[in-house]
Amino acid sequence: MTNAIVWLHGDSLSSVDPALVARPEAPAIFVFDEPFLREARLSFKRLFFLYESALEALEGRNGFIYRGEVVATIRTFCVTHAADEIHVTTSVAPRFKQYVQQLRSQFKVVVYQPQPLVPWRGAAPRRFSAFWRRVETEALRPTGSGPQAYAEQSP
Amino acid sequence: MMRLQTEHPTRAERAAYLAEALAGLYDGPAEPAATPGGRRAALHRLSSFDPRDYARTRNDVVRRGVSLLSPYLRHGILGLAEVRDYLVTRFAPGPGLAKFVNELAWRAFWQLVYAEKGEAVHEDLEPAKVPLRRERGVPADVEQAATGLVCLDTALRELYTNGYMHNHARMWVAAYLQHWRGIDWRDGAALFYRHLLDGDPASNSLSWQWIASTFSHKPYFFNRENVERFSGGAYCATCHLAREGCPFDASYEELAARLFAE
Repeated sequence: MTNAIVWLHGDSLSSVDPALVARPEAPAIFVFDEPFLREARLSFKRLFFLYESALEALEGRNGFIYRGEVVATIRTFCVTHAADEIHVTTSVAPRFKQYVQQLRSQFKVVVYQPQPLVPWRGAAPRRFSAFWRRVETEALRPTGSGPQAYAEQSP
Repeated sequence: MMRLQTEHPTRAERAAYLAEALAGLYDGPAEPAATPGGRRAALHRLSSFDPRDYARTRNDVVRRGVSLLSPYLRHGILGLAEVRDYLVTRFAPGPGLAKFVNELAWRAFWQLVYAEKGEAVHEDLEPAKVPLRRERGVPADVEQAATGLVCLDTALRELYTNGYMHNHARMWVAAYLQHWRGIDWRDGAALFYRHLLDGDPASNSLSWQWIASTFSHKPYFFNRENVERFSGGAYCATCHLAREGCPFDASYEELAARLFAE
């Protein structure tokens, strides 16, 4: 039997985050990235927005918010909860990729893909206009998964 | 590492608590923006957004036919696909809806570029198409929203107090900083990133590069006529510099000669 935790981060901070939804019983964590924030000097408004969003995403479940170094904090969190699996929704940010790589030396990391606006393979075109020409028809077509999610979640 | 409390019942108590808990990790006053975090607020905004007039009204900086969904999209609180699905199944096809989905696609495009280029999005991706001055540091009058130009100061004040700036005003402020003041776009981008609730490494830096012409085929700049048109004349009507001294009061040809002379 494996124990899992869910890791929420600033690129996926939703109460219907795919990793959260996939593991509803797992303890979940959001970490304010201390070394990054110390350098970035963001306004308080941004941090409060993240905090409020994390609080709501973690509402009603075994959820925790920390301030610290992300990888070390998640490692300790896994040990505390006797977990050997980390479930997380992907991000294209280089920092996210580094963290996942570091965590993989010790844990199994299961990465979820959010539904894209349009499927895309290969390199990005040089200009948006070329991208739009190729995806326009598909971008305007519903895929059917969104409205149902809203029906369940609407306030 | 430190575990944060999650039990404070009111927004004011949460803000006071977070100000202490994250001390040393932010700059400026410990005041939240009016925009609430979380998916409930995001869904509320989405359900009150009507895209049918979006193509016509989205660029009006004062009237604002915009969705205000960007902080939620940036932080994955709403997904691009689900927002598209929600709107496309509720509104008939039309130019407003198509334009809004086109704007969602801009975010998808920036993310693709970011996935490919990584941290390189924060440096020139291409040579500039015009001579760019590269002075470093945001001038004090811009930091204080005190340039004397009402169109820009209004936008900057909203950025500093509420973490928001209308998209068209972002284009004005960015073009002003890079092309009129000669400030390196990377410093302007850093200023926006620190304050915008929707501040995203890719969308922000790549949009500044689009203005600067290091990720586009020409620089973006604007003139007074553009400001008047997209504000209904509201800013110029109260601007002391409108009668004399407006740096934007010229034709595009004249401005190009002035701004991009070798």
